[in-house]
Amino acid sequence: MTGPFLPPLLAVEGLTTIFPTRAGPARVVDDVSFHVNEGECLGVVGESGSGKSITFLSILGLVRPPGRVSAKRMIFAGKDLLALGEGERRAIRGRDIAITMQDALTALNPALTVATQITEVMLAHGRARSQEEARAAAIEMMRLVGIPAAANRLDDYPHQFSGGMRQRIMIATALACRPRLLIADEPTTALDVTIQAQVLELIAELRRELRMSVVLITHDLGVVVEQADRIMVMYAGQIVEEGACRAVIEDAAHPYTAGLLASMPSLDTLDRPIHPIRGQAPLPGPMPAQCRFFDRCEQASEACRIEVPLRPFTDGRTARCIRLKEGSHG
Amino acid sequence: MRFGKVVERFIGLIPVLLGVSVIVFLMITLTPGDPVQIMLGDARSSPEQEAALRRDMGLDRPIHERFILFIANALRGEFGLSFFHRRPVIEVIGERLPATIELTLVALILALAIAIPLGVIAAVKRNSWLDRLSTVGSLFGVSLPGFWFGILLILLFSVKLGWFPVSGRIGFSAEVRAVTGLLLIDTLLAGRLDSFWQALRHISLPALTLALPMAAVLTRVTRSSMIEVLRTDYVLFAEAKGLRKARVIGLHALKNALIPTVTVAALETGSLLGGNMIVETVFGWPGLGRLVVEAIFSRNYPLVQAAVLLYAVTYVLLNFFADILYTWLNPKVRL
Repeated sequence: MTGPFLPPLLAVEGLTTIFPTRAGPARVVDDVSFHVNEGECLGVVGESGSGKSITFLSILGLVRPPGRVSAKRMIFAGKDLLALGEGERRAIRGRDIAITMQDALTALNPALTVATQITEVMLAHGRARSQEEARAAAIEMMRLVGIPAAANRLDDYPHQFSGGMRQRIMIATALACRPRLLIADEPTTALDVTIQAQVLELIAELRRELRMSVVLITHDLGVVVEQADRIMVMYAGQIVEEGACRAVIEDAAHPYTAGLLASMPSLDTLDRPIHPIRGQAPLPGPMPAQCRFFDRCEQASEACRIEVPLRPFTDGRTARCIRLKEGSHG
Repeated sequence: MRFGKVVERFIGLIPVLLGVSVIVFLMITLTPGDPVQIMLGDARSSPEQEAALRRDMGLDRPIHERFILFIANALRGEFGLSFFHRRPVIEVIGERLPATIELTLVALILALAIAIPLGVIAAVKRNSWLDRLSTVGSLFGVSLPGFWFGILLILLFSVKLGWFPVSGRIGFSAEVRAVTGLLLIDTLLAGRLDSFWQALRHISLPALTLALPMAAVLTRVTRSSMIEVLRTDYVLFAEAKGLRKARVIGLHALKNALIPTVTVAALETGSLLGGNMIVETVFGWPGLGRLVVEAIFSRNYPLVQAAVLLYAVTYVLLNFFADILYTWLNPKVRL
């Protein structure tokens, strides 16, 4: 862990990503501000469609037209991402900030060998000067992520590996240049339960070994609880709650976070009935000027029919609910 | 891909070819009219003469025997004598085949050289003016009849501008030793650049006439499969790796997007080999197509039989090669 005096590795302010829809422009990411510290693991939680993945694709500069990305500030390792040209943004991708996707089966190219897919990152960013050097480094990387007989399997194609092994190969690809920040987008969702724990353990291990920061995007609070230092909850494109992981889990400030926790099955309290959040997340599109959780919130009142700001309340925590009072909540 | 699998697959082609040869064999048997009568024509002939000819042609034997004989002969490349040329059919075809192969190959290369870059650019720059232009162009290319387009090309480039010869394969001055039978290669092998240039000028317009409709179809196919592939996670992941755009599009996306293009190119090439009779006629190209048209008109059955069988074999082989190419493009595909 790094001290509080170092500037964060990644600092984002006012990030907004807009997609045109039939109903009008949808703010898929709406004025999102957050930071990731050096060596830290930030858990990003929310239902699918809450804008968590798009937030980080926006930061990487990978949102495709007609999506539009804007931000007040986007600083990574002291560099202003907004001021960089496309070539400089590309140089950061894969080298300093890497991403793994939900399903390695679709993220790895079916037509190219694993060797090609791992070595090309190192060659593109000058981390290997020759094909041979890159291959040796790729074998090393595959060993690091726990692929048995790595040297023999280098020239295999992705479909020749099992699901768990594919996930490891994708992680090896992402980490080939030893990035400072890994964005792990739903790293366990596509995996069998038995493999899930292994992959999470691997990410935690690599985080320590490579001293990198990790953003863990997931809809599964259980995944975050074990790994994250801090947690950021997103709903309908906005951050609704953010704070130290333990504090948020033990005492959720936003009804949505509380709802997510209540709908999580737990072995300790099998007798406790699972209490799902009613209704469904709103479809992307123009939103009415009211709390976005209004329709699904059990504590909603007429007072909630305003644009609720994200407010700090205690211990560096913030949440977006009118029922919060400065310095206390609940 | 293992060699054994290729052999296995190749053996699998035999039933198809057998089926085709049955049809080709029946062609002559079921065609209205007695071949013997046709051969003898209007000339008065005695029943003895007729019977002799029938025996000569083997037509007096039962049908299954004739079929086995036909297959046995076909395997040895014997299809009998061409009625008109009074020479073995295989020899006559062999003289014309290289010209058709050359024309087809040049047309195929030209079509791919137009279609793949255009399809890729149209997909990457979707809805741009270039994309729209390629859409309109493809529509024209598909709908214009080849012979009409060929005539237009002749009128403009040969007659009006005089850039290209009106017809034929090469000037008489450019005789070179036949090695491959393909003039573009033979002239280069002989080191005759002037003849090569002549051959190139002759083949340009007919090849272009054949290539454009094919390029039109292939552009559309490449574009749509490319658009689909560009949406995939692996293309996004490749971009997230910080690879250059050219590599993401040219390797990660294109290698996956080419499968439909290969399929259609193989089918189109097959029909080019068989179906360029019109273009060969318009351009006076001394290829197989024209020979077959002439043979049909003169009821030269042995030649037609051999040519149809040849077309079928080519078609089957082309698709076989396309299948092999798939496995390279997408290793998940099993033969």
